[in-house]
Amino acid sequence: METKDGLVGAVLVVGGGVGGIQAALDLAESGYYVYLLEKSPAIGGVMAQLDKTFPTNDCSMCILSPKLVEAGRHLNIELITYAELKEVSGEPGRFRVKILKKPRYINVDKCTGCGECAQVCPVEVDSEFDQGLTKRKAIFIPYPQAVPSIFTIDKKERPPCVRTCPAHVNVQGYVALTSKGKYKEGLELIKENLPLPGVLGRICPHPCESKCNRALIDEPVAIANLKRFLADQVKDELLPQVKAEEKEERVAIVGSGPSGLTAAYQLVKEGYGVTVFEALPVVGGMLYVGIPEYRLPKRVLGDEIEAVKDLGIEIKTNTPIGKDLTLDDLFAQGYKAVFIAVGAHKSLELGIPGEHADGVVHGVAFLREMNLGKEMRLGRKVAIIGGGNVAIDAARSALRLGAQKVLILYRRSRVEMPASDEEIEAALAEGVEIQYLFAPTEVLVDDGRVVGMTCVRMELGAPDASGRRRPLPIPGSEFDIEVDMVIPAIGQAPDVSFLEGSGIALSTRGLIDVDPITLATSRPGVFAGGDAQTGPGIAIEAVAAGNRAAVSITRHLKGEDLRHGREMEEEAKPPDLSGLPLGEPRKPRMQMPAIDLEKRRSSFDEVALGFTEEMALQEAKRCLNCGICSECLQCVAACKAEAIDHKMQDEIVELDVGSILLAPGYESFDPSVQYELGYRRFPNVVTSLEFERILSASGPFQGTLLRPSDLTPPHNIAFIQCVGSRDEKHNRPYCSSVCCTYAIKEAIIAKEHSTIPLDITLFFMDLRTYGKDFDRYYDRAKDRSGVNFVRAKVYSIDAVDGTGNLVVKLATEDGRVMEESFSMVVLSVGFQPSAELMRLAKKIGIQLNPYGFCQTKPFSPVETSKPGIFVCGAFSAPKDIPETVMQASGAAASVSTLLAPARNTLIREKKYPPEKDVAGEQPRIGVFVCHCGINIGGVVNVPEVRDYAATLPNVAFADANLYTCSQDTQEKIKAAIEEHNLNRVVVASCSPRTHEPLFQETIREAGLNKHLFEMANIRDQCSWVHMNEPEKATQKAKDLVRMAVAKARLIEPLRPLSLPVNHSALVIGGGIAGMTSALTLADQGFEVHLIERNGELGGVARKIHYTVDGADVQAYLTDLVRKVKEHPQISVYYNTWIVDAYGYMGNFTTDIMRYRGRVIEKINHGVTIIATGAQEYKPDGEYLYGRDPRVLTQLELEEEISRGNPDTIGCDNLVMIQCVGSRNGKRPYCSRVCCNQAIKNALKLKEIKPDMNIYILYRDMRTYGFYEEHYQEARRKGVIFLRYDPEDKPEVSQMRKDGQYLLRVGGRDLVLGEEVSIEADILVLSVAMEPSPEAAELATLYKVPQNEDGFFLEAHVKLRPVDFATDGIFVCGLAHAPKSIDESIAQAKAAASRATTILAKDYVIGEGIVASVNENICSACGICEALCPYGAITINRERKVAEVNETLCKGCGTCCAACPSGAAQQRGFRTDQVSAMIRTALEA
Amino acid sequence: MIVLNEQDTKFKYEVSEEPGGENIKLCFACGLCTASCPVADIDPEYNPRKIIHMVLLGMRKEVLSSDFPWLCTQCYTCQAHCPQNVKFSDVMKALRSMAVREGYVHPSFVEQIKQIDAFSQRLRHQMVSSILAQKSEEMKVDLAKLAEEALGKVKV
Repeated sequence: METKDGLVGAVLVVGGGVGGIQAALDLAESGYYVYLLEKSPAIGGVMAQLDKTFPTNDCSMCILSPKLVEAGRHLNIELITYAELKEVSGEPGRFRVKILKKPRYINVDKCTGCGECAQVCPVEVDSEFDQGLTKRKAIFIPYPQAVPSIFTIDKKERPPCVRTCPAHVNVQGYVALTSKGKYKEGLELIKENLPLPGVLGRICPHPCESKCNRALIDEPVAIANLKRFLADQVKDELLPQVKAEEKEERVAIVGSGPSGLTAAYQLVKEGYGVTVFEALPVVGGMLYVGIPEYRLPKRVLGDEIEAVKDLGIEIKTNTPIGKDLTLDDLFAQGYKAVFIAVGAHKSLELGIPGEHADGVVHGVAFLREMNLGKEMRLGRKVAIIGGGNVAIDAARSALRLGAQKVLILYRRSRVEMPASDEEIEAALAEGVEIQYLFAPTEVLVDDGRVVGMTCVRMELGAPDASGRRRPLPIPGSEFDIEVDMVIPAIGQAPDVSFLEGSGIALSTRGLIDVDPITLATSRPGVFAGGDAQTGPGIAIEAVAAGNRAAVSITRHLKGEDLRHGREMEEEAKPPDLSGLPLGEPRKPRMQMPAIDLEKRRSSFDEVALGFTEEMALQEAKRCLNCGICSECLQCVAACKAEAIDHKMQDEIVELDVGSILLAPGYESFDPSVQYELGYRRFPNVVTSLEFERILSASGPFQGTLLRPSDLTPPHNIAFIQCVGSRDEKHNRPYCSSVCCTYAIKEAIIAKEHSTIPLDITLFFMDLRTYGKDFDRYYDRAKDRSGVNFVRAKVYSIDAVDGTGNLVVKLATEDGRVMEESFSMVVLSVGFQPSAELMRLAKKIGIQLNPYGFCQTKPFSPVETSKPGIFVCGAFSAPKDIPETVMQASGAAASVSTLLAPARNTLIREKKYPPEKDVAGEQPRIGVFVCHCGINIGGVVNVPEVRDYAATLPNVAFADANLYTCSQDTQEKIKAAIEEHNLNRVVVASCSPRTHEPLFQETIREAGLNKHLFEMANIRDQCSWVHMNEPEKATQKAKDLVRMAVAKARLIEPLRPLSLPVNHSALVIGGGIAGMTSALTLADQGFEVHLIERNGELGGVARKIHYTVDGADVQAYLTDLVRKVKEHPQISVYYNTWIVDAYGYMGNFTTDIMRYRGRVIEKINHGVTIIATGAQEYKPDGEYLYGRDPRVLTQLELEEEISRGNPDTIGCDNLVMIQCVGSRNGKRPYCSRVCCNQAIKNALKLKEIKPDMNIYILYRDMRTYGFYEEHYQEARRKGVIFLRYDPEDKPEVSQMRKDGQYLLRVGGRDLVLGEEVSIEADILVLSVAMEPSPEAAELATLYKVPQNEDGFFLEAHVKLRPVDFATDGIFVCGLAHAPKSIDESIAQAKAAASRATTILAKDYVIGEGIVASVNENICSACGICEALCPYGAITINRERKVAEVNETLCKGCGTCCAACPSGAAQQRGFRTDQVSAMIRTALEA
Repeated sequence: MIVLNEQDTKFKYEVSEEPGGENIKLCFACGLCTASCPVADIDPEYNPRKIIHMVLLGMRKEVLSSDFPWLCTQCYTCQAHCPQNVKFSDVMKALRSMAVREGYVHPSFVEQIKQIDAFSQRLRHQMVSSILAQKSEEMKVDLAKLAEEALGKVKV
């Protein structure tokens, strides 16, 4: 895949959050092929989980969704979701990456995202998207608008129950199905591996339950009882009989016990003919003759055997294999294979005198005779020897048969007893006596009949081979007991004498020797299993052998390799408890109801009555779903697209990429480690992210503000800041940068959402609203929304009563300790990198900082320590969405620079279908009405609106969608256009501003001109504003749809101009930002004109000498200036002023004035970047600035330090005052850099003179992110921080004292509660930053807006932080807002990246909606020309008509409104079109 | 009016040189120590944050001559929770020994305080034992009476 210069023109972006998406879009638009890798099943990241965004209160999903769709639809972005980066090799420009794609168990090409599978899935687990506040299914899509809209099965390794079951019956599956009342499906699932569920449900000693993880909470799930419940509940004939095509071959099975029957069952299902040969007169083997009726009624066994037989099995009873019918005979009769499963019916002997006397009956024989209904002579006093289930069965049976006394003698103690606990308990309850540590030494015989036994007491010695302690007789402890019947039940062995001479090898233990994997004996075609092969075992092991043999026999008959792919069971692994809900409340196991004791002693009625349905449902719900997906296969049945494949495996993908961009995001601090905060102990203590979900309309309470404990609306809420931030104790000493702002946002939204009056108190240490316009939002929260801000760190959160209310304890600044009660508490949790991420970084050699974030350098904010690998977003430091987006574009620019020679080498081109000519066609309108989840559908009756739309004239098709913007709906729209031959499309959903381009693209792909589209905003204009009047909102929605349809009838195709792009850039401002943008573009080969008003480059950075990290700014600046000056692609224009500007994206012209007006030049350029910087505010006399030479600004101080002025660097007492000119009425914004600047200078001074007294008077220390370290360092060095209240600002005065003229700074110390003063040698003012004066001029010339403070206003503060609304013009650096050098650099690169998306193209496509002039009625009056803000309409004096320059026209409509004759018309908004809407609006 | 530059601005460095005092300068005055302090619960004048602040401002005499260092019960709750790892309990111990060294209190005072500490530990031990002894039955320990009895034996 090598391309030009050996560089690969593809990029791997790791992380599908908003940062990764932005970077991917920029790169794809700049000519690179992008792989966007995301570890979860869908892109979107944390932003998708947020309710609203700060500070504009936009719906987070609404602004993100179009980006998701754009990334998902982009031709040059390949989404690789549910996958992880594993390995990186190679070098910058030529990396090879290894990616692990986790199995989705869904064929992504087939899944339509319809959701039928999730409907039937019985497994519910906590929804990650809803932060565990709701459940999702094991087959799921993370959230409704997820891209890609494809389901994923969440499957861990097989649960312990299934792994423990010898037959691997899918326990979790049938338990999950039971919990949903799907009994038939549950039984069907069991029957895949087990033909006798009713039998095993009764008699299985359930090893599965011993490994059940539920025991970690309380007790194991009653698995066997649930199995029995299913078998009892469902009639066999209800189950579908699936059989393969009948085959010729026949198989003989010797023995009709559980093993033989199972093999027969599986083979007959495979289509083979099966004959079972049974020596006994009854079918069932040990199940029939070994188990008493009260445990397993013959009816149950009989029914299940009957069901197996009904599949077409022949069973020959009284037909032993041996002398009369040999194995050779069977082969001779045509059987192609034989399975020997004759069980172990021979009793082991005690080997003591008297064992053969009358009255000694061995246990197995005793049970056999009883079960065969033979006449039996029973003693009065019966002794049973042994401790297994046979002993217990014999004892309980003897009791029922009328014995007066039944005694079990066991030679070990209760702990070692092999019989199951339930059986022992039942025996004891019924009156069986058990004597432990007793062994018989002789059966006493009188007259040939048993009269008693001599026994000896035992003691336990060292463990024997079985691991149990070996019983040893105590010498001299012999004694006699009186009994008249002895039943030895010490074990069984198979009788395999019939195999003599058959060529079947036996093991040394006298068992049939087989290959343990295939069960093949030494004779080809003969297999053996069950007790005959293993010695006595439990029934389910025999079943397992039957299954195993059936597979082998099938393979044998097909001539396949018997062993291939059938490794033995994996070693027992420690249970995987990750993600299990082990914190669940205790729910004790359902107890099996039994018949009463009296009846038990006197009859063989079944003891266990079985679960009632209610019990079964409750019991099944106790399952923890350890494997998540239970493999119940309901989804497979439900999926019409046949997209589900449970057998998928991990897949490794290798890709060649030129560069890697890391945007993997962050995870939240887990506050449960701070016990005193009560998280996870009290349900009403939630994290901020949980609260986002609670607030969200798509969240657990549909946007109604309720608290989790009792689903009531809270009366008051406390927000606790700095949880997991600024906390050395929990190794999180840094500030997480965004918590203050998100908490304020959540507070305001909560107040808006609340149905009852809601009080909110936000407890904080320093309020850090340092971003652009953030302080305005803070002020609004305080003053308008009435959020109560309290400066305090909360110590504890406690529940004091049963109401769910919480008491927070704190100390206020003046020292009062307070306790306050709240309905709910929100913990503002900080950011941290995930452990997984840190491992990955280590593996690929990325250097991390001490907290695990990606280490970057001050002047290279998007570079990792590894060349060619870049970083953006919260992985490099905690940051908010706009900073992430900026950094993402900035990182994209660095990638683009690296790979510029390979640009456009790997991209794919979009081929639209030719536009259909709809001219002259009758309008056939398709109307698509959107539920928008509940955003619209919760208020507006969407089906009703759809049905109404269908009745409107010319509407050929109407449909409603859950989310019309989702990717699958676009496909639906395209299909509808095709199917119904639509030539106009109306979407009734949300705002055209965000969503119209998406739908237009969709219809274009379907062959329609994109302007054959109309939109009705039934969200903002109906469901949002009329949320309490659903009927009226619905009526209004119908009106809006009718209006849209009325216009749609009259719309026609528009064809925008396609214009060539001038590939050069104009950058205005020669500071660090401007130079960085210029260099970033020039390095990619674009020509750049850099305009600087002054005589030299460098801007405000010329006055900055070092950063707080100690980096040398001047050295960096000198180098940067040199690179710019020397760059062949950059022309620098010094002393140059911009006098005029015109043009449009791709084709701007700017007139510049040089040499004081002596030269005016024109520059043609394709893009414009404004980087005009900012300047320091000079206080006018404030704090004696300008009146006392000892009062300096921070920049002035820095200058003095760098010059080494001894009066300054040698002084004893230095005071700094923060927020001078910032955060006041005139400049209600934070200047962002001053806190760090003050700390930087204080640290520098402390370095020069460690004992200097430095006092910093501040309002809030805003050392966000890792700057907090420097704040800490300053304290460590002894800098004193004193907070002042803005209402009571410090006072600065001059005073005479001891012959000196002192500078005195006075104020109130808020901790001491006393007036304090400092006699300062130097007073430093941390002054505000103001936009440069040229900003206003440029704003007018380029027609771009400024905010109220004079900083340039970007197109969207969240997602378009460097773009202007006017295409092709970008902003960066201090001209946008105050920021640090590294942030300026990142933003400058971002502006370059956005500019590249235009410069990299040869053509740009203009607007279609522009003004046009009907020349026939135009009188050339010139009103339009005077009014047009863009200079796009002019009067042609010769032709006497107005002419529109379509490339300049922005379609604002001013000319059309002003035109007295109606000659000027807006395309797409013609008078007749708008009139039609108004007319129909008034009709109803 | 306190003139800050006239205070003993070296005091904070001295305290931070004492064992346990090393992190005192890291205090950012969040007040968690005060909020968590059981002494502050019963004495509103007792304010650990303010004491630290006074040390940082160099108010040597006021701190060392005050009762504050002595009222600390050394329960370590503040220390366990301080987000900046200021070891308040240990700082109080450092201040106590400085106060003794600099003659603000007589060494015998320290001895008495030690006795009180030992006594209160014994009292606590005794009361908790009484509760533990009856933990399985209905708890009927009259704590006030126990305390009264114990205190009655002390000559104040």
